[in-house]
Amino acid sequence: MGAYEHLIVQREGPVGWLINNRPDQLNAMNSAMRDEFADAWIELDNDPAVRVIVHTGEGRAFQTGVDVSEIAGDGVGMERYRESMENFDLHFTSWHQQVWKPVITAVNGICAGGGFHWVADADIVIAASDAQFFDPHVSVGQVVSIEAIGLLRKMPAEAVMRMAFVGRHERMSAERAYELGMISEIVDPPDQLRAHAQELAETIAKNSPAAMAATKRALWGALEMGLTDACRAGAAELVSMWGHPDQTEGPKSFAEKRDPNWLVE
Amino acid sequence: MSYATLEVGREGHVGWLIFDRPDAGNAMDAVMLEELEVAWQELDADPEVRVIVNTGNGSAFQTGLDVVQLARNPDALREQSRRTKRAELKISAWHNEVTKPVIAAVNGVCAGGGLHFVADADIVIAASSATFLDPHVSIGQVSSFEVIALVRKSPMESVMRMAFSGSHERLSAQRAYQLGIISEVVEPDSLRDAAAELAEKISRNSPTAMAHTKRALWGALEMGLTDACRAGAAELVEMWGHPDQTEGPLAFTERREPQWAPMNT
Repeated sequence: MGAYEHLIVQREGPVGWLINNRPDQLNAMNSAMRDEFADAWIELDNDPAVRVIVHTGEGRAFQTGVDVSEIAGDGVGMERYRESMENFDLHFTSWHQQVWKPVITAVNGICAGGGFHWVADADIVIAASDAQFFDPHVSVGQVVSIEAIGLLRKMPAEAVMRMAFVGRHERMSAERAYELGMISEIVDPPDQLRAHAQELAETIAKNSPAAMAATKRALWGALEMGLTDACRAGAAELVSMWGHPDQTEGPKSFAEKRDPNWLVE
Repeated sequence: MSYATLEVGREGHVGWLIFDRPDAGNAMDAVMLEELEVAWQELDADPEVRVIVNTGNGSAFQTGLDVVQLARNPDALREQSRRTKRAELKISAWHNEVTKPVIAAVNGVCAGGGLHFVADADIVIAASSATFLDPHVSIGQVSSFEVIALVRKSPMESVMRMAFSGSHERLSAQRAYQLGIISEVVEPDSLRDAAAELAEKISRNSPTAMAHTKRALWGALEMGLTDACRAGAAELVEMWGHPDQTEGPLAFTERREPQWAPMNT
């Protein structure tokens, strides 16, 4: 691990950065990049110095889905992904990889089609003011599925369905994505996006890592079930933290007006 | 088939289903209840139709059951009660398992049972003069199916407020837009043009890919996230190898409209 061809993985203080790095292909994902994602998420999740992960892209696009030129080019097509898709055994997002650290997606430009995987599967999404969102799948004969299913749980459904059916013939602005609650912040000018994401990540990194991990498990777990069952499972996550040293350290550091020293496991 | 309470038409690939009891606020009487089932199925079965627009003649969109008329028709009332009890209604596109994208174009007041057609559409646009309200509890009726679906698709507080404020308050088109219940607000006299334009864009996409997409996304409202993704993956893979998946990218590179395969229904 550590050397990537299609991604940049780096650290800045408590923040791990995962950067899509195929700018000439608008960060479209070929099969090599797909494999690198699996490693990069685990590498950052396993690094105790990393408390929060920011995911963004190089160039004018954030991500534009599967690399169609690879699909079209070698006669194998989407068939290369059949087994993993049929078994829903995917490994390219933080949700697939069960990363329990907070993940911020910082959408730096175009987010199209499969790019929505990392919007749907992030905890927090911010975007540059010139970011644009659209889903061209049905315009090229592909089905819209996993990414939109994730989004449906997290935002008003009508907007997701409109994007799914209108295909490449319409784009959603960062402004509308903000109004709908798909993203929580627009950064303007766009070139401030990374600085701002770093700042937001550092703010989040001030919180108890163990408490955030249990919180993340409770909230994502809730998307799997009915309300009462979700509360029951959430209660178990809550109680699992009781007696944890962070629960003494938190109030103590507050009273002593200093930053807490969280336990890092 | 000719209809007494609906206007059913085609324009290019767009099918129109128009409520046509303007003097009764387009409320559903016994005849309309029967005709709706026939009309949805007729448009869904017509291979020329790729997308369906649902709107109303006159100043109202739809105001729910015509209780006055139904009271005079005991057989129809009994049948409707039976279907309601068994959750076997056949009035909306979703009830009739319509496979094509459905746009509701709300031309005026949408009240009570009229909300079925908002909740069960894929995409909803509205005239700026449109209003939404749910008077059920103001006349001693329970609000159920329509708002259950809306709760899945929109911010819940606004749905609960509508359910409990009954006939004493209306949601404006502008607020419905902010909440993501609808995706577009237009001047009242350009509503049909706007709906036609949107439908036209959607009709340019692969009919088969859209049918799978619709099944994946609506199916996702039935289960937990991971199960929904698993079912969605099956919809996705089922389309692999379909001729539209070659035609789509080919048409794009040749800068022409794709010639989609007719849908196997």
